[in-house]
Amino acid sequence: MNVIFHLLIMSGIYIILTLSLNLLLGYAGLFSVGHGAFYGIGAYAAAILATKLGFPFWGEILAAASIAGLCGFVIGFPTLRLRGDYLALATFGFAVIIYSVFNNWYDLTRGPLGIRGIPKVVLFSIPLSSLWSYTVLVGFFVLLTIFCIRRLTHSAFGKVLEAIREDDMAATAIGKNIAKFKVLAFVIAAFFAGIAGVLYAHYVTFIDPSSFLIQESFLIFSMVIFGGMGSIGGSILGAAILVILPEALRFLGLPSAVAANMRQMIFGVLIVFIINWRPEGLLGKSKL
Amino acid sequence: MIAGSIYTLLALGFTIIYGTLNFFNMAHGIAYTLGAYFSYVFRIKLGLDLPLAFSLSTLLTALVMLGVDKIAYSHLRTRRAPSWALVVSSIGVAIFAESLIAVVFGSDTRSLRIGQAAPGYTLFGAIITPVQIWMLIVSALLMIFLTLHLKMTIMGKALRATSNDPEMSSIVGINTQSIYQSTFALGSALAAIAGSLVALETDVFPTMGHAALLKSIVASIIGGIGNIPGAVFGSFFLGFVENFGIWKISASWKDGISLILLIFFILLRPSLFGMEEKK
Repeated sequence: MNVIFHLLIMSGIYIILTLSLNLLLGYAGLFSVGHGAFYGIGAYAAAILATKLGFPFWGEILAAASIAGLCGFVIGFPTLRLRGDYLALATFGFAVIIYSVFNNWYDLTRGPLGIRGIPKVVLFSIPLSSLWSYTVLVGFFVLLTIFCIRRLTHSAFGKVLEAIREDDMAATAIGKNIAKFKVLAFVIAAFFAGIAGVLYAHYVTFIDPSSFLIQESFLIFSMVIFGGMGSIGGSILGAAILVILPEALRFLGLPSAVAANMRQMIFGVLIVFIINWRPEGLLGKSKL
Repeated sequence: MIAGSIYTLLALGFTIIYGTLNFFNMAHGIAYTLGAYFSYVFRIKLGLDLPLAFSLSTLLTALVMLGVDKIAYSHLRTRRAPSWALVVSSIGVAIFAESLIAVVFGSDTRSLRIGQAAPGYTLFGAIITPVQIWMLIVSALLMIFLTLHLKMTIMGKALRATSNDPEMSSIVGINTQSIYQSTFALGSALAAIAGSLVALETDVFPTMGHAALLKSIVASIIGGIGNIPGAVFGSFFLGFVENFGIWKISASWKDGISLILLIFFILLRPSLFGMEEKK
């Protein structure tokens, strides 16, 4: 039973991450491969606010997600003129820099030792100590994210993002301030990734830099590609499948080191396969 | 200096692949790792001579990467997919291959070193080991070879023509697909040599390609991607800045420093060597 709750919580966290990255990749056509950085920033901000300053949960999740959103601005603004693979490189660089900060800024993040003893969430003075209550909380945030992203992408804002993806010159020509929209997309995506980070930090209660390696960013990236770019249902499905599938490997009885590598190998094959033979992913619309 | 010459091999491979195939090959680190592991197998497990082991490992890596090209890239090329699709595909290749290496060889570190490290000589106040001298010589020779190859031979000319204008080249009868393949193999072979050389001095482990990929990206971006003298300059510049950074700040920030350089130079494009962006 606990395994099921664990999988639900992890799927929920990755669904939030995948949806937020999909806003950049699928809707705005911005190739960010460093999404794990915002996830890590959210998690670290939550851990520090909760352990050192004793913030209440709602204030903390808002503050941590805002910090992540601010970092989204910091990376989104200077990279405005970069397109396609150069943006991918810049965000890749950003993710490695953030990892390096987690690892080296000892006074704030305690470096490779990580931050332990992150308290469980207390809501309206009721501690959510059981797994199922935390699953409900994560579920609430997943629904909130789906709602927000859906509203966003179906609004005028979403249409402008799609216009930028298709032809940013034309979008400028009809009088849209594309710089503003691009930066805003980055900030929103980073904000939601920050929320996912907060949920992760309170769930595992111990974080260290190794949870936010560049592989984490690639993993989120492959979930978006796998589910299909520009599709909300696809992101949900992609994240859930890629979280649950590797767990099935455990039942094959492989030693854990081999199982972890098998998991990575499956991801690698999936990415190559999808991008070559089914670029629209499981449920996506956009073709190459 | 030593770091610079290794980075040069990496960056040269990376930059000619970008210049011709027009995408950032995120699986470049894999060629480096494979080169190191193959050399390890040939040298330590099979006990071959060092030069023979190195050549075999380079050849084998190039062959493996040709297979990778066939499976993961050629399809996208013929469909004229945008370059980011190739980048994504190469990320997939990198994730897959790294884990495969970890499964086959195990995650613990290996080394090509035999016996005690030879005593170093002192040169201009710096200590330099015989292996490092060999690294310098081999990379210098390869640089000269590559430059001559591109300038003089028919294949080099065809390669440059293809990277300039693929359509025109195929009209005048150059088999562009085979140029793409051979460039990819050549670039990977350079990375494999770098990996083998590094393995003489330091440990071999499955994720060693990460750092190599970072260095190749940063060095070639600094020099202007697709630009060969630029890549050489960028590599030595990177090696210098890193070592300066270690001396002034701390060794653990090494990757951070090179990545900050990367972002700085990406934002400053067109770079020092005035290579304009290709469509």
